[in-house]
Amino acid sequence: MHRAYPLTKLVWVVIVALALFFFKEPLSGFVMLVVMFIMALVFSRVPLRDVYGSARFIFSLGILLMFFHFFADPGEPVLRVGPFTVTDGGLYEGPRYFFRLSVIVLASFVLIWTTDIRDLMVSLTKAGMPYRFAFAIFLSLRFLPMMQREVEAVQAAHAIRGRATRSGLVHRFKLWQRYMFTVLINGLRKAEASATAIEARGFGAYPDRTYVKTVEFKPAGLILIVVFVALTAGLIYVERAF
Amino acid sequence: MTQSNEAPLVEVQNLTYTHWNQTEPTLHDVSLQIRRGTLNVLVGPGGSGKSTLCDVFNGVIPHLHGGKMEGEVWVDGVNTLEAKVKDLAPKVGRVFQDPEIMFATLYVDDEIAFGPENLRFEVETIRATVEELLTTTDLAAHRHNLVWNLSGGQVQKLGLATALATHPQMIVLDEPTANLDPAATRSVHELVLSLRDEGMTTLLVTRELDEFLAEADQLMVLDEGRMLAAAPPQDVLREHGKYMVDTLGVWLPETSEIGIALHSAGLLGDRPVPITIEETLNALLQANLLSGRLAGEKVAQHVVPKGDVLISAQDLRFTYPGGIEALKGVSLDIRAGEWLAIVGRNGAGKSTLARLMVGLLKPQDGELTLFDKPAKRWKVQQLANNIALVFQNPEHQFLTDTVADEIGYSLTAQGIVEPAERERHIRETLDRLGLADAAETHPFALSAGLKRRLGVATMLVGEPQILLVDEPTYGQDKEMTHTLMALLKDIRSKGITIVMITHDMRLVQEYAERVLVMSDGRVLYDDTASALFERNDILEQANLRRTILHELLESIKQQGVEVPGVVRRAADLVDLLPVEKASG
Repeated sequence: MHRAYPLTKLVWVVIVALALFFFKEPLSGFVMLVVMFIMALVFSRVPLRDVYGSARFIFSLGILLMFFHFFADPGEPVLRVGPFTVTDGGLYEGPRYFFRLSVIVLASFVLIWTTDIRDLMVSLTKAGMPYRFAFAIFLSLRFLPMMQREVEAVQAAHAIRGRATRSGLVHRFKLWQRYMFTVLINGLRKAEASATAIEARGFGAYPDRTYVKTVEFKPAGLILIVVFVALTAGLIYVERAF
Repeated sequence: MTQSNEAPLVEVQNLTYTHWNQTEPTLHDVSLQIRRGTLNVLVGPGGSGKSTLCDVFNGVIPHLHGGKMEGEVWVDGVNTLEAKVKDLAPKVGRVFQDPEIMFATLYVDDEIAFGPENLRFEVETIRATVEELLTTTDLAAHRHNLVWNLSGGQVQKLGLATALATHPQMIVLDEPTANLDPAATRSVHELVLSLRDEGMTTLLVTRELDEFLAEADQLMVLDEGRMLAAAPPQDVLREHGKYMVDTLGVWLPETSEIGIALHSAGLLGDRPVPITIEETLNALLQANLLSGRLAGEKVAQHVVPKGDVLISAQDLRFTYPGGIEALKGVSLDIRAGEWLAIVGRNGAGKSTLARLMVGLLKPQDGELTLFDKPAKRWKVQQLANNIALVFQNPEHQFLTDTVADEIGYSLTAQGIVEPAERERHIRETLDRLGLADAAETHPFALSAGLKRRLGVATMLVGEPQILLVDEPTYGQDKEMTHTLMALLKDIRSKGITIVMITHDMRLVQEYAERVLVMSDGRVLYDDTASALFERNDILEQANLRRTILHELLESIKQQGVEVPGVVRRAADLVDLLPVEKASG
């Protein structure tokens, strides 16, 4: 997976996402999830530890969504939990949504785990996207560590200044507002200075640019797409047949 | 300094520039020339327009910043108004004060290649350039490092490398060593000088002139947007030296300050104003000012402990979660009424120690007693009433929308809620710190100097016993620094202990009574500043340097002259000399 062309992988994620919306049965979603794990562990050689660490994030969102559907979807009541009712419709839809979310998120993770962002950007420009847009994602990533440091510094400063209101929640909201304000202001300042700086370094001077490190399109990677389209078709067929 | 007849690389004629959001011009009728292969130093107090001037050479002004520009700027035969930024980019390399802002990629080698890639240089050319620059800047081992995982000095060098990557005719450096520790500063300075030696035309904006003034071909002085002088350093110092030191508030090497004082007293005659230690020594000898013993009394060289112990540390240790052992057994006492400076290079453990003292970190090993209670038993917010930390970047501390509200916030945190009392407190604090006019201003809109003052003001509300100031000179020019120091002196006279963390040895020399030198997580020295300057071994180990003033004192002593008394500033030394002061 690591060696596949970034754009191919991006298209693959899109296909997977689309496929999930065609599936009617939770079982198909389950199959996809298993396949996705195989992609991650076997074909992408992502360490189990990393997958496990992300699994919490991946599944927690999915589980939340599933429970939401348990209680919110129309259908015959099956179980009563306090004032809330679980319906049979919900029991059916819930897992579907769970798989939808989890598979898409996991696929995106696989993309990120196996792709150098820079390569992704270069492949986008090769596909015809003006490099200024492709770079946008790249540049925003650049600012994350800086932002993180700002937030940490502000948190420390606030801890020292102490509380000024009694109400916990209101205070927390106000503090959060402050973080946002400081981070935003600094972010804007840096963004403006950064934009000027890179333009002074010739960014955007010409419609194209040289790339010292380049990525080559490998047709072999298309197998990925072919396999998944086939898999999707197969699963849909199996669904309709039963 | 050779005067060649070839056309200058840069010519600025009667430049007047007004920012788009200002009514008054930032630069007034500025004219200057920069010759090829020269090192040009630009100085001036904060807000005088230095950074603005730096932006005119690569076309950022006027093309990217807008505004109104009158006059002409010619770079390598091209008029910047008519040319595009992309044409000027390969001619002028600009390094910003905070190079991290100008980085556009993730990795060191990518970053160096970024500029040439944009300008469509050939792949092979770029590869060769990157290799060359990695070696020159000593970053070859870090080529695959993430750009934000570099030390301060490395970041500056990378900034330089990126500017050099397009093989420009001139590089413009804006305060490259402003926030670096002495070791990193020296490293960057050496690089700049070696570039000059190889023929690179350089424009350098800096406050750290000690190494550059003697090497500079031209010294330019900006005073509120006007070019006060643009000539060889000797000439500028002769004619404007006194004004620069007394009124303008420009940091000059202490040797030059002495030279200017001698010049004012008429003791130099036609000789040029001395800049280096040697020249200063010679000037003093020739004026017959060094004979036997200088005036003054012998002063105690050691700190005499008095006052109650407020903070006590015994074999304090701390390791960060990533495994970095920041403190390896630190023991010290801080007593009431002291003025203590904690110095050391970046990574020596100063910030860690500070954080432990204010309760942001808890000690892992060893003992730390804060105000008679073990550190572990303190809550950060309560501790803030006893020891207040003024942050390096005051903006991080601001929580409200007006200056008055900031004070108000601290008052509320102290439990002072009665309106009349609050009014009084706020008014008093604002008056005391010279912030009364700015009461309704948004904290972020204040000038750098006022921001810092507000930072101090909010911390004083709790009437702490210790005021801990982190890098007071961060982002400040001489005048602002002295104002801040005067403020701290005033605070100290009211009985508050001052602890300042700094790597500015001049500050230590002038203000600190007691110095703690940290290196690699340990305390190397704990005594007076003047005694420290005689300990070369410790200075070396901690990667610090003596101030030029003390190096001069050393040379004077080597001449067999006794120097009693404590010399904290150039003016102090001048006072010790048998010089007839001109009246006024």
